[in-house]
Amino acid sequence: MSSRAAHLDLGRAPYAGVLDLQRELHARRCRDSIGDLVITVEHDPVFTVGRTGSLDHLLVAHETLTREGITLCEVERGGDITYHGPGQLVVYPIVDLRQRGRDVKRFIAELEETTIRTLRRWEIAAERRTGYPGVWAGGGKIASIGVYVKQWVTRHGLALNVDISREHFAMIRPCGLDVEIRSMVDLSSRRASMDEVRDVFLAELADVFGWTFETTCLSEVAG
Amino acid sequence: MERKEEAIRIPDLGEVDEVRLVGWLAASGSRVELDQDLLEVETEKTTFVIPSPATGRLTHGEVSDGDIVRRGDVVGVIEAGE
Repeated sequence: MSSRAAHLDLGRAPYAGVLDLQRELHARRCRDSIGDLVITVEHDPVFTVGRTGSLDHLLVAHETLTREGITLCEVERGGDITYHGPGQLVVYPIVDLRQRGRDVKRFIAELEETTIRTLRRWEIAAERRTGYPGVWAGGGKIASIGVYVKQWVTRHGLALNVDISREHFAMIRPCGLDVEIRSMVDLSSRRASMDEVRDVFLAELADVFGWTFETTCLSEVAG
Repeated sequence: MERKEEAIRIPDLGEVDEVRLVGWLAASGSRVELDQDLLEVETEKTTFVIPSPATGRLTHGEVSDGDIVRRGDVVGVIEAGE
């Protein structure tokens, strides 16, 4: 049986403002004043560092970040430093896991499954790697996953590289690991536009989670 | 007046047996409210905030940040009461 979920697309937006919005919507979801919601967004260039992360894995000086127009943001999710920027589909599900069996691991597996199915549509074979979070393809990491759960409601989520800047990623050791970063355009002969990848991802997400999406706008869900 | 101790246990997070303790969000000895955010634990992909099971005085257990704890482990107690 399918249940309803809202989809809010923010287009391109700075990280910090969207983080505040996530926290607000998370609080509203905890109070049950909104239903399950999925935000999609493409961020301006930003490095984010999780609670257990280290700036030792930032390999360039702060002046370089300023020159390149990259901001730095500390966040409450787990994990180390990562990059978000143009050419990356970022998905933030704000979902009440009490209605999904209170199973954190299953939720992560369903996000991974959605990503793997999406990549398959571009004939990209992707996989999970035990002990290494995210989704992997072409010998590198193509999607990152990091979720924060409070009062059984999720925030943060997943970032899928569609056509991302290698130069910016080269400024960090992503997640503290020496990993190669892959984009969909590196691995598929079929053109991957952000709009199409987002639409396919949402269709697969609806299928995996048993949702029917309704498009919403900020004024409908935010205070 | 009877004082009741309520154990703070690592909850069942689904198919997750072990988590790493990230840190407490309330000091040992402080008064906490029911459902207040008490401590964060994480798996490789998830950070989970454990809420207080009761209102009362919090005492941290013999655990440290970075420790691996298992589902059902007691990591502290709340001495319930006013």
